[in-house]
This record gives sequence, C-alpha cells and structure tokens, in this order.
Amino acid sequence: MRAKVKIEDAFDRYHEAVFDFAYRLTRSSDLAEDITQECFLALVRAPQRFDPERGTLRAYLFAIVRNLALKNYRDQRPAEPTESHELELSADPRPVLEISSAVGDAVAELPHLQQEALILFQYEGLALEEIAQVLGTDVGTVKSRLHRARERLRRELAPYRNVGGIHGTV
Amino acid sequence: MEPFEKDELSDAELDHILRSWSAPAAPARIRAAVFPASSTPWWKRFLTMSIPVPLPVAFCLAFLIAAGVWRWTRPVAPVAPQVLVKTQRVEVPVVQDRVVTKYVYRNAPVAQSAVHSVGFDELRPVAELRPRIIRNGNAKN
Repeated sequence: MRAKVKIEDAFDRYHEAVFDFAYRLTRSSDLAEDITQECFLALVRAPQRFDPERGTLRAYLFAIVRNLALKNYRDQRPAEPTESHELELSADPRPVLEISSAVGDAVAELPHLQQEALILFQYEGLALEEIAQVLGTDVGTVKSRLHRARERLRRELAPYRNVGGIHGTV
Repeated sequence: MEPFEKDELSDAELDHILRSWSAPAAPARIRAAVFPASSTPWWKRFLTMSIPVPLPVAFCLAFLIAAGVWRWTRPVAPVAPQVLVKTQRVEVPVVQDRVVTKYVYRNAPVAQSAVHSVGFDELRPVAELRPRIIRNGNAKN
C-alpha cells in the first residue's frame, strides 16, 4: 500500500515531464500518451526494478520512455540519419509562421542520440549526470552529443533568427 | 551564397528559438489508465468486472445452460410401469431312458462297417424260398 502511494506521488510529480519528453521524442500526442502510460505501468508492475543507488527516479522514468520511444522509432523509421545528414529547409523559411513546428522539425532531424540528449538538457532540464544515467553513457559523451546538436541547430535555425522576434520583426 | 543563411545563432538566440517549441499538456486520462482502481469502490469494480472467455467455450456454456433450462421446464411424462425381468436357474430332474454299454476289446481286429464290407458281388439267390405268413394279432406265429 505504501509503495502504491509512492508510485502515485511519483506519477503526480513526473507524469508531465515524462509526457513532455515522450512527445518531443515522438512528436505525437497519442504516442506520447501511450508511452507515458506504459512507463508508469512498468513502475506499477515492477517497482523493485528501480534502484535509487543507480540514479534518480526521474532518470529511471526517462530511461523507460527513451526505450519505448526508441522501439517505436525503430519500427517507424527505416534508417538512422547519418551524422552528416543536413536538414533541407526551404529557401526562405520566414513565411513559416509556426516556428514551433520548424524547431520541432529541426530537432527531429537530428541524429537520434543527439536529439534525446538535447531534449533532456534543453527541455527537461536534466543535469549532465542525469542525462548520462538516462542514456546509459558517460558525461563526456553527453557533452559531445549536446555540442554537436547545438552546433547543427545554430546553422539550421539561423534563418529563423528574426522570426522569433529576437532582433526585430518578421 | 547568402550571408543570411550562413549565419550561425548565438547561444542566447538558439536557446530563445528552442524555447518556442512547445509541447501539449499531458491528458488527464493517463491517470485513470495507470490507476484504474484507485477511485472506484470495490463493489462497483466487482459489479462491472469482466472475464474474457473464448467464443467456443461461451457457446458450449450457453448450450449447456439452454439444455438445462429446457430439461427443467418441460412437463413430466407419466411414468410407465416397470417390467422387472428376473432370471432364475431351476434344477430339473431328468429320467434316464436307457443305458448303452459298449465293450471294446483292445486286441480285437478292427471291425469294418457292414455297409462297407458287403458288396453286390457277394449277394446270391437263395436256393429254396420258404415264405412264412404272420397273421396280425397272433404273437406266437
């Protein structure tokens, strides 16, 4: 009974972040909902699998989401984009009013390992150590992936500089 | 090559643009899907619970229930008188009619049957025919 209350507490605390992470990985609300549900059902069914000594509960949940999204990613996409793959944007992207969608597209076009590191760092606010726990790698690798992801996005999203109203208007 | 496209964003610009990518809020129905029993009383769950049954099993159960109902509700036919067949062994005395005793000698020659031993060649006409009349009712003649 006590464990169940803890799981409900964990749900109340993390389900928004878990859904957010799943949505940004899959870009589908329905899929993110399924993944969030599966993630917490996995915790309900086998709470003993979470080992606090190996990391935080948030990192554990994000790792489950990552695995589920990766499974879906492999089922949906035929091939992993290469590191040198460049995003093909239109010649003049400024007419694209929905910059949110453009950023989502740019992030989605990142190689998967860079994409999940960037989302965990940029949108979920995880520390580098936590990201390393989620991704099952070391901090140095996380830093490298983040650096490459941001470098690429600097170039890809440069045409949108003024669309967001940073330095002016459209 | 346009300088507009070759420019790179600064860290602040990139962070600002990245923040513009919003995600929808998590639907409230996820909680009900993860914790379905938390808000429902046990009796309501008991009344609404379902058990998956394979279709052939369901058909068999329905047939058995229908057969049971039909058998239980049909009118009872008058019972015919029962005929009891009982087999009893009775010993009956048998009167012995006659006793045939046949003696067989071990070293005697094997007698052949008269039918087989007599042939037509051995038949001879009698030398003198003496007919004898036996009257009916006269036991001495």
